[in-house]
Amino acid sequence: MSWIAERAAGSDEFERCFGLRPNLFAAWRDFAARLWEVGALDPTVLELCRRRIGQLHGATCPLPPGVAAPPLAERKAAELSTWWRSDAYGETERACLRFAEQFALDAKGIADAEAAAVTGALGDAGTVAFVEALAIFDGFARFARILDAGDGA
Amino acid sequence: MIAARVKSPPTRSADPIQASPLAWQPELLASFLRLYGTLWSHGELDQATKELARIRNARTIDCPICKAIRFSGARREGLTEEIVAEIRDGYEQSGLSPRQKAVLRYTDVFLSAPGELSDELKRDLLVQLSPAELVELTAALALFMGFSKIAVALGGLPDEIPVHEQPTPDLPPPATA
Repeated sequence: MSWIAERAAGSDEFERCFGLRPNLFAAWRDFAARLWEVGALDPTVLELCRRRIGQLHGATCPLPPGVAAPPLAERKAAELSTWWRSDAYGETERACLRFAEQFALDAKGIADAEAAAVTGALGDAGTVAFVEALAIFDGFARFARILDAGDGA
Repeated sequence: MIAARVKSPPTRSADPIQASPLAWQPELLASFLRLYGTLWSHGELDQATKELARIRNARTIDCPICKAIRFSGARREGLTEEIVAEIRDGYEQSGLSPRQKAVLRYTDVFLSAPGELSDELKRDLLVQLSPAELVELTAALALFMGFSKIAVALGGLPDEIPVHEQPTPDLPPPATA
């Protein structure tokens, strides 16, 4: 439960906190939902990165209303915290997970080869959408964690 | 300088954002500009406080664009370059106000270890900011950090950009049919 005393109405603690700024929350929901509509991005890759960044921060960026998380294969979900040791992930998934971790921990430390693996798989437009998704996953996982409004990932 | 990781989009806009790599995704960019305009110009937290957090973030993430920009609304509210100069390591010993120092401490925790916010700082923040202001500040930090990281991750930026003032982001005009 969040340490902020006041709450708005909402179905979970994230909504009850963010709902204290309703026009901002509405604009966030619109942007966050559009990230899942970009044709160049595989929703499974997005979901893997959303969950992995959540593991790093101990809270996951919630999905906006109307967006359903794609189901993950059992092994992909189970082995995500040690994905680099697993053969459950494809080449694009591995490139994106590596980039996502570095983005969340130290974006300046992303190596040219790590970036090239992502741009090679997603193209220019896909890469831009991908980093925008990472920005939201990282930023709002931190939002949930620091306000104690997260899922305890 | 980090080499550009994506090509420039096929646009001819003179607007630096519309000509940036973000223009590869025009619908996302339009939605982001509505989000950012709402944050800056239709919020409850004053612009000078948001600018303080934005500049601290910019210096921590080391984004040359973000470090160089000053939003005009924050300047009008009194965020001078003398105050900006205090947004550095060692700000605890500066002449910044208790509210400004609390915001900078919160920014640092958000960027480094968001699970390690102390009870003392929580109490301090609840004295200095209303619940709605705190939520807005936290969302602002998420966006400042995220979009600084995007700029750094996509590369292609010079190491230094001169400090310059820009209009405070606001909602874009509605599209005409």
